[in-house]
Amino acid sequence: MKVNEINFWTKVPFSKDLWMMVILTILVGALIVFGLSKAPSQARRPIIWILTFLSGAFFVLYQYWPKAINFDKNTQLPNGGIEKVADFLNDSNSIVGTIAQVLAAFMLGLGIFSILKIHGTRIAKRQRDWAFSVVLIVSLLLMVFLGYGDFHIREATKTIDFDNPEKWGAINMGRDFLFEGLLQQMDAAMFSIIAFFILSAAYRAFRARSVEATILLGTALLVIFSLMGGIAYLWDTKFIDEHFAKPGVTHDLIQNLKLAEISKWIRGTFQTPAITGIKFGIGLGTLSMAVRIWLGLEKGGK
Amino acid sequence: MKIKTIPKYTVYLLLVLAASIPLFFDIKMPNKPVDSSAATFKSLMTLEKGDTVLLGTDWTGSTRGESKAELIAILRILMRKEVKFAMWSSADAQSPRCAQDVITEVNAMMKKEGSREYKQWEDWVQAGFYPNSDVAINNVGQDVKKMFSPKRGTDSTGKLRSVMESPVLEKIQKIEDFKLVIDVTASKTSDFHVQFISSHKVPMIFAVTGVMVPETDVYYNSGQIAGFLGGLKGVYDVEVMMDKGLNVPDKDGKIEVASTKVTDQIAGFPGKDNTGSGSKYYPTLHFALALMIVLVVIGNVEMAMARKGAKNS
Repeated sequence: MKVNEINFWTKVPFSKDLWMMVILTILVGALIVFGLSKAPSQARRPIIWILTFLSGAFFVLYQYWPKAINFDKNTQLPNGGIEKVADFLNDSNSIVGTIAQVLAAFMLGLGIFSILKIHGTRIAKRQRDWAFSVVLIVSLLLMVFLGYGDFHIREATKTIDFDNPEKWGAINMGRDFLFEGLLQQMDAAMFSIIAFFILSAAYRAFRARSVEATILLGTALLVIFSLMGGIAYLWDTKFIDEHFAKPGVTHDLIQNLKLAEISKWIRGTFQTPAITGIKFGIGLGTLSMAVRIWLGLEKGGK
Repeated sequence: MKIKTIPKYTVYLLLVLAASIPLFFDIKMPNKPVDSSAATFKSLMTLEKGDTVLLGTDWTGSTRGESKAELIAILRILMRKEVKFAMWSSADAQSPRCAQDVITEVNAMMKKEGSREYKQWEDWVQAGFYPNSDVAINNVGQDVKKMFSPKRGTDSTGKLRSVMESPVLEKIQKIEDFKLVIDVTASKTSDFHVQFISSHKVPMIFAVTGVMVPETDVYYNSGQIAGFLGGLKGVYDVEVMMDKGLNVPDKDGKIEVASTKVTDQIAGFPGKDNTGSGSKYYPTLHFALALMIVLVVIGNVEMAMARKGAKNS
């Protein structure tokens, strides 16, 4: 490890300092978990709020704390308190990011725990449709087993060309059957069902019942036509270009009647500003909610 | 007022027919690439041999019709131009495996056409999966070296080493060192890319699903991204441009595939097999959309007739 890579968060490998930090982290982590599990719910809330506030404060500070311009950590040391804090925040960013990744990974674990608990109970008590729970748990375990097995074989034997299915063993084939043959196909099939609902809904609901609905219908049809290369070709090239457009002139008034131009105009003039407005609204809403959670103003936050 | 309607199962059957019958025929649909596709094609085709790009893939089986087809088209261009890439994912845990299976598939296509096979570690690396998408993309923007250093890959001698030591990433110090940042996505990772990476001076392109086109248009129109492929139309656009080039005149001087936004003359890969899911499924999309328009018209005629009947009675 290079000297300039050592900071508050990193220690020299196998050093006493490193072992001390590891032991201390485990002890503090265990104490926090133990404390939280034993504390009454009234006492848990302020602890969770303090942790939320500290986590949020880091990112606020990281974004807004002044950073030294052209500071090269390889050749320079931070100068003064402001630069030292900026340097500390900079060093901490990837560590805090890693902590966030670990927490998110825990959520996956929590999901698996929840599935096992709910469906395990259903199987144990022979509740309604318990057989489906068996299928779910068996599929989960098989996918984990074959997924890791396949990964391990591929990583351990790099000399074998696993791109060639003829070189696969039972584990590789099993993984491919479960993941590619079943999961991916079922995923795609589920999603494709939406097409039937969209078509049926368009037929039943897309009607010119009022002036507004007629405008919406007309606009939608124009955009759909522009996506259909065949229709766009017939209208833009065979009709407009060959009958009305002057040869060699690309910026003529008649060009505005092309489906491609109309669609571009609809998207640029109406759609983009509308979506930008919606995104601004969502952004402001997210910001206000984030501030409420950060400061513990949201119910359940403290 | 009672409206007579076509039974829903007839509508479903018509969709099955409209979506399946075109698959049995080799139908060449005329097409003019949209500006965003032309700009994406330009970004990809201006890459040079040995350049490195960061390739985010965040899609799974549910959007494979569009996302997989987009990734195949992008990988074909990257591999033919011998551009190195670091692949990573930050949304769905299935996405790295989906993308790796596509690399295998494209490698087989490359082998078939006589091109060099892409090797992991030398030509591309797997830079990992990160379950917390926004934090991961922020960290990549802030310090890509720190972010990817802990990820290890097997080098050509069989030794496990940090992917940052691979021939793909050894020269990368910061996000700006990538020649292009690509995100093939069916989720919000495109928003996070704009939030955390667009402020850095690195060109960025997206490949999104059809329903994401309106929101991605916002970033394209504002200049925050260099281009994007939108759904199946985007795939077909890029496949057509790979085949016929962009703004390239034929021997009679006629330009078959032109763009008013991108005026450069960009040659594609003539003589190679450039067809993919875009060419295969675009006619299907066409017929399905045509069916939708016909049904909407029938629905409105039925409503008008029912109104007329109600008035007369």
